[in-house]
Amino acid sequence: MRGATLLTVILASGIGLAVFLLEYRVKDLENQLYALDRAVVAERESIRVLEAEWSHLNDPARLGAMAARLLGMEPVAPDQLTSMAELPQRVPDAPDEKDER
Amino acid sequence: MRGVRIPEARGSRLRVSPTAAGARVRVEGVRKETIETGRNRLLVTGALFLAVFMVIAGRLVCLSMPAAPSGEASVARQQYAGVAGRADIVDRNGVVLATSLPIASLYADPANVMATPALVQRLAAALPGLDPETVLAKLDSDAGFVWLKRGLVPRHVYAVNRLGIPGLEFRREERRVYPQGRQAAHVLGATDVDGSGIAGVELAFQDTLSGGDAPLRLSLDVRVQTVMTDVLARTMREFDAIGAAGAMLDVRTGEVLALVSLPDFDPNARTTAAGAAGFNRVTKGVYEMGSTFKLFTAAAALDSGTVRLDDVYDASRPIRIARFTITDFHPIERPLSVPEILTRSSNIGAVKMALDVGGVVQRHYLRQLGLLDRSAIELPEVGIPLVPDPWRDINTMTVAYGHGVAVSPLQLASAVAALVNGGTLIPPTLIKTPRAADGRRVLSEETSQTMRGLMRYIVVNGTGKNADVPGFAVGGKTGTAEKVVDTGYSANALISSFVAVFPMSAPRYVLLTLIDEPKGNEGTLGYATGGWVAAPATARLVTRIAPLLGLSPQPTSEIHDPALSPVSANGGARTRKRNLVAN
Repeated sequence: MRGATLLTVILASGIGLAVFLLEYRVKDLENQLYALDRAVVAERESIRVLEAEWSHLNDPARLGAMAARLLGMEPVAPDQLTSMAELPQRVPDAPDEKDER
Repeated sequence: MRGVRIPEARGSRLRVSPTAAGARVRVEGVRKETIETGRNRLLVTGALFLAVFMVIAGRLVCLSMPAAPSGEASVARQQYAGVAGRADIVDRNGVVLATSLPIASLYADPANVMATPALVQRLAAALPGLDPETVLAKLDSDAGFVWLKRGLVPRHVYAVNRLGIPGLEFRREERRVYPQGRQAAHVLGATDVDGSGIAGVELAFQDTLSGGDAPLRLSLDVRVQTVMTDVLARTMREFDAIGAAGAMLDVRTGEVLALVSLPDFDPNARTTAAGAAGFNRVTKGVYEMGSTFKLFTAAAALDSGTVRLDDVYDASRPIRIARFTITDFHPIERPLSVPEILTRSSNIGAVKMALDVGGVVQRHYLRQLGLLDRSAIELPEVGIPLVPDPWRDINTMTVAYGHGVAVSPLQLASAVAALVNGGTLIPPTLIKTPRAADGRRVLSEETSQTMRGLMRYIVVNGTGKNADVPGFAVGGKTGTAEKVVDTGYSANALISSFVAVFPMSAPRYVLLTLIDEPKGNEGTLGYATGGWVAAPATARLVTRIAPLLGLSPQPTSEIHDPALSPVSANGGARTRKRNLVAN
């Protein structure tokens, strides 16, 4: 009987301690999760802001004006465009010495 | 169990039950009763303790469990859900056109702020545009809550926080932002202070936008939109016009790639949308389109089989009906064939053709082409066409050359798309559509083929010459309509337009440009007609847009020949064609 009681007391205090520790760990993890969630929210918000800014800075009208002002670019004329097929045939390589032999 | 002793257990009165030998001990008499009572009490007490311990243990487990629904973490998630409240609007390539951004607004409870002029001065220094007097008045009031300034940028939030004035608080709000500014303002529309749509796509798709996370993908291409805005704005300045409209449609899917109405507004500043700037000329405005309607007259005449391509009409004498006289810009003293009526944009020829077709058939074709009913575009701002009722002969005659019926530019573009895409009307849409839509057949494939040829012919030989772009085989028709001023048509207030299709060999896009009240200048010899104003603008547009959309220039010679095979098969018509070129 005495042994059983002792065992129960040890078990009870052991489990109590474990629960106590576990609870603190859970709390820690929860705090971490909260911090991470807030970070995710902040990150997503900045992504939205940056996407908006990216779109704003890439406004074709703005880019066009800057390309004209800073780089002296102009809209492409149709005769500046061609396709691979329309390019003149490449001059064939000079015959190799090995082939002649 | 320890405290309970049974000293007599080993006595003589103890009997062992024969049925359960060694398992049970029986005690009899008074002592037995006492023992039974003690045992029962013990059991009850034990059960009670057990129950209480169970409750405590259960509670302990409950407390140590991470409480999911009320935890702080989920609060953060909810906050995020609030930020993404309204979905973005993007163009067909995913460029953000409208988004919602978190923004801080400064407020105060006047009871908590020591309102002194010095404090307000410091605040005004940190926030430009803040009027110290008003702020002081607000902070002196008895209200429990006053907004000091809404929609602060992060830099100003920082500046206010640096002042360290107690009692000033920020509240997170959400604001609709249009990063591309004026681009496609008429399509996007606007939102009110609460972030719900009040115009344009923002209103038309209010439920989708406020409900969903996925961005709304429009059919617009922001690059094409920009080019069109730029070219139309230049044309407007060049000819001192009061307005301009432009639309570009994919003839196979009905997608609107660009929709420009000038003057426009900045959706980020709602007040700029007041008056003419907020008016969508492309969908809401209805105009008498003028000669571009001759395309429909010709299509109806050819498709109904009333007229053949090489039929000729005498257009040398003006037509007099009631108090009207219908004349031509440049009268020609000989009969004109159908292609010539279009290239020379002869009113008389068109009227005679329409009279041959008849009012009923003409009306049937116009209705089939969607020109007599409200357009089905996904915008709240859609104009209802002005259609004569009853439809008399005089209406048949004027409608033949585009007067007496007023339609929106978008309707015209959509109808022209049906003329060239093989003869099916596909309702225009602002939403990106993955594949070609099934349209309603309005013309035969053959008529559509002929119309392609005629439109190309007009640009090569007729009034649309200024719209030609070498390599892209533009086809189209000019239109010049007189506006109704006070009581009658005015020769000085014109609507000059050009409807173009390219590339004509395999039509992909229809492009409509319309300039409202252009004034002729030296460059155009004083003319302000469609051929002089809108056609060159169209050429500039095609030059810049076609490469953007991946079209490469083709040698033109192969393209314009199949156009008029019925004419070139006829010897007489070929002679006339040569005469025209010589002109």
